[in-house]
Amino acid sequence: MMNMGTTPFEITINVIKTILVFLMMVQLVPILVWVERRGSAFIQNRFGPNRIGPLGLLQLLADAVKFLTKEDFVPDKGNKYLFYAAPIFALIPASIAYMAIPMSTPLIVGDSKFLIQGFEVNVGIVFILGVSSLAAYTILMAGWGSGSKFALMGAMRAAAQIVSYELALGLSIVGVIMTYGTFNLSDMIAAQQGALTFTGFGSTFTAHFLPNWGIFYQPLGALIFFASAFAESNRLPFDLAEGEAELVAGFHTEYGGFKMLMFFIGEYGHMMIASGLFATFFLGGYNIPYTTVQGVHDWLMTTFGLSVDGANIANTVVHFLMYNVKFLILLWIFIHVRWTLPRFRYDQLMDLGWKTMLPWALANTILTSIVIFAASQFAF
Amino acid sequence: MTDAILFWFLALVTVCAGLSVILMSNPIYSALSLAMTMVGVSALFVTLGAYFIAGVQLIVYAGAVMVLFVMVLMLFDLKHEIQAFTRGKITGAIKIASVGILAGLVVGAITLGTKAIEAAKATEAVAGKTYDNNTMSLAQNLFLQNVFGFEALGVLLLVIAVGTVALSRSRGGTHARD
Repeated sequence: MMNMGTTPFEITINVIKTILVFLMMVQLVPILVWVERRGSAFIQNRFGPNRIGPLGLLQLLADAVKFLTKEDFVPDKGNKYLFYAAPIFALIPASIAYMAIPMSTPLIVGDSKFLIQGFEVNVGIVFILGVSSLAAYTILMAGWGSGSKFALMGAMRAAAQIVSYELALGLSIVGVIMTYGTFNLSDMIAAQQGALTFTGFGSTFTAHFLPNWGIFYQPLGALIFFASAFAESNRLPFDLAEGEAELVAGFHTEYGGFKMLMFFIGEYGHMMIASGLFATFFLGGYNIPYTTVQGVHDWLMTTFGLSVDGANIANTVVHFLMYNVKFLILLWIFIHVRWTLPRFRYDQLMDLGWKTMLPWALANTILTSIVIFAASQFAF
Repeated sequence: MTDAILFWFLALVTVCAGLSVILMSNPIYSALSLAMTMVGVSALFVTLGAYFIAGVQLIVYAGAVMVLFVMVLMLFDLKHEIQAFTRGKITGAIKIASVGILAGLVVGAITLGTKAIEAAKATEAVAGKTYDNNTMSLAQNLFLQNVFGFEALGVLLLVIAVGTVALSRSRGGTHARD
């Protein structure tokens, strides 16, 4: 559950861990911005930032200095309190939700057990969806607090889009929840170990050439989840909220300097949550394909002659790296899609959300429940 | 000890947010305070161990319903909002009566609720019940014991949705295509 440990040592470790996960998230943002700018430049046959530091890596440091030293500006007709509160609130949902995603196997040293995640919630999915749905308020606060028509229209679009696509996102996960029979993310990852195995109809089928990933059980759910994740994080091809041609920059038109950077961090945070959740639900989380966590542990012990504790630590590190490989590939796909696909029109966006993805997600739910019922009732 | 501190802190935040819903003169602040109240209530559910209900409270009320409220409120022209206070004798009497009824309801709910909680605690202490799997017990309660009421509510909501669509389409609606 959500306890912080019993002994002072465990409580201290858990508090430090929460801060570390938050810092990890914030520190990934400059690297992602660099990847986004260089990547978009390569896609569009440009150079991108390449002057400051090796490969332009220090550009973001220079940008941060620029952001910090810019003038602190509040629009005359705006609402000062909401204007200042919005960027701060933008960081909260993303960082709290990301902490609930497990990033590696629990580290067991002696009698102590440390989870490689900020905190474990028993109903992980519901918690993450609930917390990240609060992001709509920050956008509305920014849009209305700016006292500008462009900002307000951008905020309205963004909030309507987030609320609409939350339905499809939630329903696409229902199939996953039914397949694994749990809300707990760690249990879901544990169910995705080894080779693809399907138990039902009175027998067990195994496909040794495929890993036991959720995407093979829920291909339609994965597709709908992936598409709505783009809409939830307000990125192209769903970035109607900041359509430059129509709305200048949407809800953060009036923001500059570090306040705008905080919205950026929030947006990248939502991307990270979407990537982490996609890896957890459909790509086996931190599992190494075709193997089990225990199998890797035993292999490490026999091959390198490690002690039990040493093998535990090495196991956690290896699985942490595996999670990050999947996580970073998904983030790169997010960036790649942004710079290759054009934007939807607003009515197309709403039609896609309400008339296409929602019915398909419902159909996926009904089909999954029928298959699960049939597999448990009938035998060949 | 930490549970008590957490509870009193969350209770204070929730009650203050709830009070500011009716005390703020700006409707936007009121709506945002109501959203804050929802978040506080969901945090209180977490302290009670009802994780699933807490999450649903966040998703449905704070994440969807209140967002729509705030969105609609932000589209109004709020500059000409005049506080309307009536000073008539009849309305005053109605106000005092409704305050009395509300106070009675609150007191009644607290006393009855305390009795029910004490009774439930006594039976659970005997049965040795734990709350590890309360999502499942909630589902069993909804879909086995109270399935008729649950489905009837679903039909009612569907009727409301169909009625809303019919009403908005009868005058052309926003997407007037016919």
